[in-house]
Amino acid sequence: MKKSLFLSVFLVGVFSLLLFIPLSYAQKTIKVGIVDTYTGPASTFTIDVLDGFKMAVEKINAKGGILGKKIEFFTRDEKFKPDIGLAMAKELVLKEKVDILMGTINSATALAVSDFALKEKIPFFVTFSKSEKIVVDKGHRYVFNMNENAMMAGRAAGYALGKKPYMKYWIAGDDYEYGHSIANNVWENIQKANPKAVLVGQTWWKVGEADFTPYITQILAAKPDFIIVATGGSGMVNFQKAAKATGLSQKIPFYQHTAIELSVLKPQGQNAPEGVYGTANYFFYYPERPENKAFVEEFKKAYNREPRIGALSGYMTAQFIAEGFKKAGKIDKEGLVKALEGMMLDSPVGKLEIRACDHQLVLPMYFGKTKKDSKYDFLVAGDIETISGKDYMPTCEEVRKIRKYK
Amino acid sequence: MLQSMLRGKGLIWGYAGLIILFLLPLILPRFYIYIVSIILLTGLLATSLNLVLGYGGIFQFHHAVFYGVGAYATALMLTRTGLSPWISFIVGPIVSAALGLIMGMICIRLSKLYFAMLQISLGSLVWIIVYRWYSFTGGDDGIHGIPLPEILSSPNGAYYFTLIITLICFLIMYKIVKSPFGSALQGIRDNPVRSEMIGINVKRHQLLALIIAGFFAGVAGFLFVVVDTTVFPDMLFWTLSLEICIMCLLGGWFSFFGPMLGAAIIIVLRTFVSTFTSYWTLVLGILMMFVIFFLPNGVLGYVEEKLHKGLIEPVIKE
Amino acid sequence: MDFIYTIFPPKVLSQVFVGLSRTTILFIVSSGLSLILGVLRIPNVAHGSLYMIGAFMAFTISKVFGGGDIGFWLALIGAPLGVALVSLIAERGVFQFLYEREHLMLLLLTFAFSLVFGDLVKIVWGAEYKSVPVPQVFQGFVNLFGGLPFPLYNLFLLIVGPIVAVVLWLIVNKTKIGKIARAAAVDREMVGAVGINVSWVFAIVFVIGCLLAGLGGALVAPTVSVTLGMDHTLIIEAFLIVIMGGLGNIWGALLGALIFGLSQSLGILIWSQFGIVFPYAAVIVVLLFRPTGLLKSTW
Repeated sequence: MKKSLFLSVFLVGVFSLLLFIPLSYAQKTIKVGIVDTYTGPASTFTIDVLDGFKMAVEKINAKGGILGKKIEFFTRDEKFKPDIGLAMAKELVLKEKVDILMGTINSATALAVSDFALKEKIPFFVTFSKSEKIVVDKGHRYVFNMNENAMMAGRAAGYALGKKPYMKYWIAGDDYEYGHSIANNVWENIQKANPKAVLVGQTWWKVGEADFTPYITQILAAKPDFIIVATGGSGMVNFQKAAKATGLSQKIPFYQHTAIELSVLKPQGQNAPEGVYGTANYFFYYPERPENKAFVEEFKKAYNREPRIGALSGYMTAQFIAEGFKKAGKIDKEGLVKALEGMMLDSPVGKLEIRACDHQLVLPMYFGKTKKDSKYDFLVAGDIETISGKDYMPTCEEVRKIRKYK
Repeated sequence: MLQSMLRGKGLIWGYAGLIILFLLPLILPRFYIYIVSIILLTGLLATSLNLVLGYGGIFQFHHAVFYGVGAYATALMLTRTGLSPWISFIVGPIVSAALGLIMGMICIRLSKLYFAMLQISLGSLVWIIVYRWYSFTGGDDGIHGIPLPEILSSPNGAYYFTLIITLICFLIMYKIVKSPFGSALQGIRDNPVRSEMIGINVKRHQLLALIIAGFFAGVAGFLFVVVDTTVFPDMLFWTLSLEICIMCLLGGWFSFFGPMLGAAIIIVLRTFVSTFTSYWTLVLGILMMFVIFFLPNGVLGYVEEKLHKGLIEPVIKE
Repeated sequence: MDFIYTIFPPKVLSQVFVGLSRTTILFIVSSGLSLILGVLRIPNVAHGSLYMIGAFMAFTISKVFGGGDIGFWLALIGAPLGVALVSLIAERGVFQFLYEREHLMLLLLTFAFSLVFGDLVKIVWGAEYKSVPVPQVFQGFVNLFGGLPFPLYNLFLLIVGPIVAVVLWLIVNKTKIGKIARAAAVDREMVGAVGINVSWVFAIVFVIGCLLAGLGGALVAPTVSVTLGMDHTLIIEAFLIVIMGGLGNIWGALLGALIFGLSQSLGILIWSQFGIVFPYAAVIVVLLFRPTGLLKSTW
């Protein structure tokens, strides 16, 4: 037994030596560390974020970089595990000495990394996590949210649905933070616009539920006018398939955030249900601006597929980093944070601003419903209504109130 | 107690190792100190599992529950009550031990795989509660930015705290393994029927082992809170439990320090292979296959075996 | 009919039948797991990965044949065979040398396999969602039980389940290989002693078990999005079912799957917010009263 003690001490020592790799000093590049999930169902979204970011970085570097320095980035696959994600963020900051952190689709990881970023004073760009806690409840100087959060998506949908004549609503969703947040926000905004609307029932299932049929039959029996479905990830497709198989999509209209988005519709081909309401921030075919067309062309050429929602977020993050440093005039983290507050840049979907009060990117939200289109072999969004940021985002006042209250 | 563990000619080696561990923050950059802290607390977790798995022969398949519950209990005490943080650190392990008692009482009647599966079911229920009770546990997002006492907030403070607690726990666990209770437990593992015949209360011994294992898993849980200032439901998901089992078997589940070595191997692999490729689980899987194929007693088990047979030059001369 | 509805409201009946169709997939997958556990004593964690591979193979086959009905039927045959081939390679390459090892070691080995399979699937099929269309014949639904819709594909599953159960029963009880396998499950030395090549019997049992996992994957593919990580939830459920029914007992797997599937779908009716709790609670209750499962275990 003694021997094993010494052996393990010895081996731990050897490992420690292995770890001890000299650090590089004098940085020649701007280093961006990306922690995200590239395994499991979430990677459908994260790979687009990465590709959009990569495309923008290559363009920036080809033009000589920022203030003479090129952008270099490192990716780490956290496999949807917050402890691993946090350890990777620490590795990137403490060992690779990255200037900027980026990621992640997992809200728990994003919140943990955000807390770490605050302690280390490293700017952290959240590219796909949907938790509003990141910039609202737990927002701080160094965290930026580059995509919509659940609160925004829910409010936008509620804003649009409140104008519709439905009265009896049913809420169903994935039983986790994201699902509840979307559903609550949709419902709050519907009530504001349409005070007579009533909630006749609720159904919550476990995250990752594969078979929705038993839940749908239960909802059908209650005969509501409209269903708010708050699913995320692979649940989106699973629910649409079950809705089609049970005839739900023909009987009762329903809403899902990102239901009209390419990630959900493309895998289903022509078999996706028609007339499903949804919201999304980006389509490769809408808005029909020359900037969007150019972006789509470039993306298709680089990766041989259409850009999806994440691509915009990754692409714009790179643009904001570059312009932020340029505006600051030097490669300085504090300068970057300051420069980004209130900065407005042109994007494929129009001018986008980072709000100074909560570091949230102000995005237009598109509300529409699925329809067939002879141009594509999958369904697309139709009847698109554009909801601008000021109509649905929580105001700076509200954000301040929530932060103080917490 | 330290003397009993380190007596003989190996004393110098042991002290040298300890001194190295205590001096690490002076030579290593911060990140490595962090990784060593994680290795220490994960090693503690794996060793606590090995008390029941290796020494007790009990199929404790959902050990992560005790780790997570200990961490959550500490985190909730720290964020929700005004009590001294030091009290929270004691509460975490005690709650874990209590859970160990409750789950143990329910599961103890079953054996082997049946025990394992009943425990996984019960553990999954605990996980569901933590995952869904938003108002209390923070739901799937977890709790972040947990406030710590000044002395522990610095990286080195957290490291020394982890190191000292881990060392103390190792000494206690070593003592337990070497005690009559530990021998009785191993006797039960090897031959439950005979143990029963010579008057050992098998169930009571096993139950006590489960409580002890739960307690030390809880200690590992609160150390995680100290090192990472965060908790989340994945800490008590069953996949983590399997990973802890792997650490035990990889390092060697019949050696006291095997699980610690297994934890070190897996964390180092995860940290450094993942900087080269996103397919690090593939590398881990293949490595595991090789270990199982060629080293059935784990890495440390293999080295010990060779030492006993004198096939390779002993690192430490008797 | 109205008489029945007064005892069992249509809502309950519909839920029972939906639960039964869900049971089909659970039964097919867990019977394979149970077979391997019973005869080979391997707690095969990689079983879930094989189920996932089955679903991905079904996607590829159905896509190659134009995504139509022919593709679906070919996928239903091809995907399980493909999975069987993968498992045969794994068995002959690795498992056959390790049958005498500790159960815990075997469990770990299969876990290593599930890690490797997980990454291999990502390398071969990429990270995007895949979707297999429901064949034309089974698209849509019928109105059963007081006008509540019931998907046709679920009806199809209700037919497949019993067929698989009967075929499996025939293989285990009426064929020579089944008889040898059953004997080997009880006493493998004895079987070896009478001059039977146990190694190949084990290989065949292993492959049949894995084939069932692949079949489960191919059957589930049209109803869900085929993604990485779909193995995770399933494998734990399958293990619970097998334990609940009694290790190695095929009928036990059926009974366990029924309890698991029905407790969930009926649980949704009783307390929809916590529907997921019911199956786990069922396992706990069963094991508290029957510590070695409901039916006779082969261990």
